[in-house]
Amino acid sequence: MTVPRRLLAALLMVAAMTFVVACGGDDDGGGDTGGGAAKESTGATDGTKAAPDLAAAEKAKGSVTYCTGKDTSGAQIKSTGQFNEKFKAQGLSAKLLEFPESADEQRNQFVQRQEAKSGECDIFYADVIWTAEFAAQKWLLDTSKYIEARKDEFIPSTLETVSFDGKYFGVPKQTDAGFLYYRTDQVETVPETWQAVYEEAAKQDGIVYQGAAYEGLTVDFLELAFAAGGQVLSEDGKKSVINSPENVKALQFMADGIKNGAAPKAVTTYMEEPARRAFESGRATFMRNWPYAYALGNKAKKVKGKFAVAPYPSFEGGGKAGILGGHNLVISAFSKNPEGALKMIDFLTSEEVIKQDAAEFTLAPVLNATYDDADVKEALPFSAELKQAVEQAKSRPVSPVYPQVSAAIYKNVNSALSGEMTPEAALKKADSEINSALATF
Amino acid sequence: MATPVATVGAKRARKGVSADKAERRLATRMVAPSMILIAIVGAYPIGYAVWLSLHEYSVRTPGLSRFAEPYGLGNFEAALRSDTFWSAFVNTGVFTVISVTLELLLGLAMALAMHNAFKGRGLLRTVVLVPWAILTVVTAITWQTIFEPQLGFVNTMLNAVGIPGGDTVWLGQSPHAMGVMIFADVWKTAPFMALLILAGLQVISNEVYDAAKVDGATTWQRFMRITLPLLIPAILVALIFRTLDALRIFDLPFVLTKGAYGTNTLSLEAYEELRANRLIGLGSALSVLTFVIVMAVSFLYIRFVGGNIRSLTDEGKA
Amino acid sequence: MSTADATQSVVVPKARVREKARKPREGQHPALWIAVIAIIIFCLFPFYWLVNVSLKTGADLSGADLVPPNPTLDNYESIFRNDDFLNGLKNSAIVSLTTTALSLLIGSFAAYALARLKMRRKFMVLAIVLSVSTFPGIAIAAPVFKLWTDIGLYNTLPGLIIPYLTFALPLTIYILVSFFKEIPRDLEEAALVDGATNFQAFRKVVVPLAAPGLATAGILTFIAAWNEFLLAITLTSSSSARTVPAAIAFFTGSTQFELPLGTISAASVIISVPLILLVLLFQKRIVAGLTAGAVKG
Repeated sequence: MTVPRRLLAALLMVAAMTFVVACGGDDDGGGDTGGGAAKESTGATDGTKAAPDLAAAEKAKGSVTYCTGKDTSGAQIKSTGQFNEKFKAQGLSAKLLEFPESADEQRNQFVQRQEAKSGECDIFYADVIWTAEFAAQKWLLDTSKYIEARKDEFIPSTLETVSFDGKYFGVPKQTDAGFLYYRTDQVETVPETWQAVYEEAAKQDGIVYQGAAYEGLTVDFLELAFAAGGQVLSEDGKKSVINSPENVKALQFMADGIKNGAAPKAVTTYMEEPARRAFESGRATFMRNWPYAYALGNKAKKVKGKFAVAPYPSFEGGGKAGILGGHNLVISAFSKNPEGALKMIDFLTSEEVIKQDAAEFTLAPVLNATYDDADVKEALPFSAELKQAVEQAKSRPVSPVYPQVSAAIYKNVNSALSGEMTPEAALKKADSEINSALATF
Repeated sequence: MATPVATVGAKRARKGVSADKAERRLATRMVAPSMILIAIVGAYPIGYAVWLSLHEYSVRTPGLSRFAEPYGLGNFEAALRSDTFWSAFVNTGVFTVISVTLELLLGLAMALAMHNAFKGRGLLRTVVLVPWAILTVVTAITWQTIFEPQLGFVNTMLNAVGIPGGDTVWLGQSPHAMGVMIFADVWKTAPFMALLILAGLQVISNEVYDAAKVDGATTWQRFMRITLPLLIPAILVALIFRTLDALRIFDLPFVLTKGAYGTNTLSLEAYEELRANRLIGLGSALSVLTFVIVMAVSFLYIRFVGGNIRSLTDEGKA
Repeated sequence: MSTADATQSVVVPKARVREKARKPREGQHPALWIAVIAIIIFCLFPFYWLVNVSLKTGADLSGADLVPPNPTLDNYESIFRNDDFLNGLKNSAIVSLTTTALSLLIGSFAAYALARLKMRRKFMVLAIVLSVSTFPGIAIAAPVFKLWTDIGLYNTLPGLIIPYLTFALPLTIYILVSFFKEIPRDLEEAALVDGATNFQAFRKVVVPLAAPGLATAGILTFIAAWNEFLLAITLTSSSSARTVPAAIAFFTGSTQFELPLGTISAASVIISVPLILLVLLFQKRIVAGLTAGAVKG
C-alpha cells in the first residue's frame, strides 16, 4: 500500500525537524542564546560536583565565609548576624567578606580565588549574569536537588538566571528590575515616553543613571535598546546583531540627552551609588535605579517623602523593556564546608529573611509569597508593579563569555556618551568585538 | 706603614695563578646565590610567560588549550592587530615622554632653587623627599580625592574663585584623565629628580663659574654652557630609570581610572586581558611585548650610558 | 672630561662636595624665597589634604574645607579596629623586612664579588642583574600566579617574598657595588697579609665599613617592597597575606553608607607616617644611595 504523498512529506518534515533540534543545540561554543538559558545539557558541565543534601547539612558546623559586594543596603550584615545568633549553638558561624562596590571588581575578586582553587569564599553573592561563566568553568556546586524541592516557591524568571546547561547552580536570593525614580515636588505626572522624560529632565534638574563604563551601563543601554526594538545576539546566539537601526536610535537618544543637558556630563562616571547619592542630595529630578535605593532615599533628609517610583515609560516608536537583575547565592566548588554553606543559603533564602530584605531594605523578593505580605506591601508600595516587572523582565544574553560581550557593549556605549565616538561608529565596533568574543576558544 | 702595598703585590705575584683561581672560585660562589635566585624568580617566570604566550587557553572549557596558530604566534598577531594594544602603546608613550620631560624640567628648576637658596635649604631637602616616600597607591587615592568632580578640592576652588571648569569630570574624560595621571606622577617624582640633579650641581666647582664671570658670561650663558653640560651624566642616569618606570606604569592608572578614558597603559592592558578577561595566552603575549619594548628602550640607553656600567665592574682604584 | 669620569665624580660624594657657603651680604633674592615656598607647598599640600580629610566624618566629607570644621579622630579609631587593615600592616612589615634582610645578605655577597674579586664575565653578570630589574611586573605576575596556585604558595607571605627578590636583589647589588668600591683597598690588603682569606676579609673588614651602604640599600629596598602593588594584588586575596597597598586599594570602608573616604585617608596617613619618618631620619643616606647610581625610586 503506497503512503499518500502528503503524509510522506509531513513525516519527512517531522523527521527533519527532530534531526535539527537534536543536533542543532550543540556547537563548539557550548550554547549561547540571546535570552533565556539553554535547556538541554550539552555536556559542558559534566563532572560538576553536587551540593550536599539539605538533610545532610542539618548538623553542619564550622565556619562559612560569605563573600559579597559592599553591603550598601545593610541587609547582608543584618542577616549574617541573625544567622550567627540562630546557629551559634551547633557551632556554625558565618563571616561576611565584602568586596568593593563595582560589580566588575566583585567578579574579579571571586574569579581570582576560583582560579587559585582557593576555598576562601564558601558562598558568593553572584550577579545573575555570571552563572553561565562560572558554571562552565566548573567553579560551582550543582544545587539542582535543592532547587527541585523548592521550585514552586520562586518566581520562574529568577530560576532561569540560576540555571545553565540543564542544571541549577545556585539559589536565587534577590531579584531586580529597574524603575524610574522621580521627585514628586518637581514632576506632577510621569511622562509616557522616555523622550518626554528627557525633555522634562532638561527643563528641571536632569536625570541620572548608570553611565560609567561597566556592566550597569550595559543594563541601562539595553533597557532603552530593547524598548526601541533592538537585540544583541541573533536567535541562535551565534552572531551579533547589535549594529541595527533601532539600537543606533536608542544610543543616539542617550548621547543627545547628555549633550542637551537632560543628563549631567558626570553621568558617564556614575555607577548605582553615585547616581543614588546625586538623587538623594536633591541634585537630580529623575533617576534610573534599582529598588534598593527606595529605602535609602527615605532615610535621606533632602528627598525623604518627596519622591516616588514609576515603571518605565515606553520608547517612542517601540515598547517598554526592563532588564532582569539580581543576585544568586552560589557555592564554590572548592569550599571546605559545603554543608555549612548550604545551611546558610537555606537560611538566607527562607521566607523570613527574604521578607525582611524586602520590608526593611526594599530588596526585590525572589519568592512568590513575599509579594502578598502586608509589611512588604507597605514598604514597597510599588510591589505589585515590581512583581510584574520581574516576571516580565528580559535577561541579558546568556553566554559563558558574557563578560566580554558586555564589555564590548559598555565600552563603546560609554565612548558614544562621552562624545568620543558617534553612535554609529560605537555600535559598529561593538558588533565586531562581540563577534570576536563569541568566537572565543 | 709597615706593610707597603709592594710587599703585598709581591706576595701576590708569588702566589700567582693559584691565588687568582681561588679568588675566582670564591667570587663565583659569592655570586651564585644571587644568580640562582634571579634565575628562579626572574628568568623562569619570563620563560613560562613566553611559553604561555604561544598557546591559547580556552575561556569556555577549563583545562583545554592548543598551540596558537600560526607557529605559535597567534596571540602576538591578535595583539598587534588589536586597537586596544596600539592605543595602550600610544598612551604609554605619550605618558612617558610628557611626564619624564616635565619631571626633568621641574626637577631641574627645583634643584637650582635648592642649590642657590641658603635659607630654607635644610627644610627643602626634607620636604622634597615626602612625595617620594608616600606609597604610590596612596598618591593615587589622594589625587583622586582632590580631583573628584563634586566634592574635590580642585573643582570646589575653581567654583569658589569663579574660574570656568569647576564641573569638569577630571577622571571621567579622555584627555583630562591622562592629564591628572601625569600630574600625579610628576608630583611624586619631580622632587626625586631634583635631588639627583642637586647632587650633580654640588659637584661643579665654583672656579669654573668665576672664570666664566670674568670672561663676561651672563647667567643664562653660564647655565647653558657650564651647568647643563656638566649635569648631563647625572641627568642621563636619572632619565633611564625614570623612563623605564614610566613605561611600566601600573599602580597609578589602576587606582585612578582602571585604565578607562584614555589612560590604558601597556601593563594595565596586559593585566586586563590576563585577569579580567581570563585570556591567558593573549595576556601573556601582551606581557612579553611590554617586556620587549622596555628592554629595547633600556638597550638603547645602555649604548649611551654604557660607560657607567662598565666602570662598576673594574675592581676599583687601588 | 669623558662621560665615565664625570659620572664617577657624581659617584664619589662626600670628600669633594662643598656646600656653597656664601655669606649673605644682602638678603636672599625674593624670587628664591617664592621658589622655596612654592616647592614646600607643592610637596606637602597633598599630604596635608590627606590629613585634613582623615579628620572629617559624615557631612563634612562632602565639603571641601581646607580645615576640618569638626575635627575628630573617629576615622583613626575605626581603622585601628579594622582587622583587614591591621593584618595588612603586619603582612607588609613581615614581607618588607624579610625581603630586605634576604636581599642584603645574598646581594652583599654578589656585590662584593663584582666590586672586588677577579671573575670572568663580570659585565655579563651585572648586565643580567640589571636587566632583571627592568622586567615589567605584569610579565612575572601571571606565570608566578599559575605556579603558586599549583604549588600552594598562593596567598602566602613566602609567595610574595620570593618574587619581591626579583627587584630587591638588583637594587641592593647595584647600590652596594658602588659603596664597596669606595672603600679603600688598603684595609683589605692588610687583612689579607695578616693571613685572612678573601671571605674573612669581606666579613670582618669590608662589611662593617660598608654599614652605611648596607643601611642605604636596606632602606631603599624596604621602601620598594612596602610600595609594591601589582604582585601584591595578583598573588594574594585574603587578609591573611594581603599587604597594605592591596588592602587599601580594595578597602570598602568600615561604615556602610558613607564614602569610605575618611577611613581610607586615615589609613593612608597611618601608612605614610612611618615611611616619612624613616625618610626624614635617613635623609642623607637615602640621597647618597640614590645618587650613588641614580637608582629608581
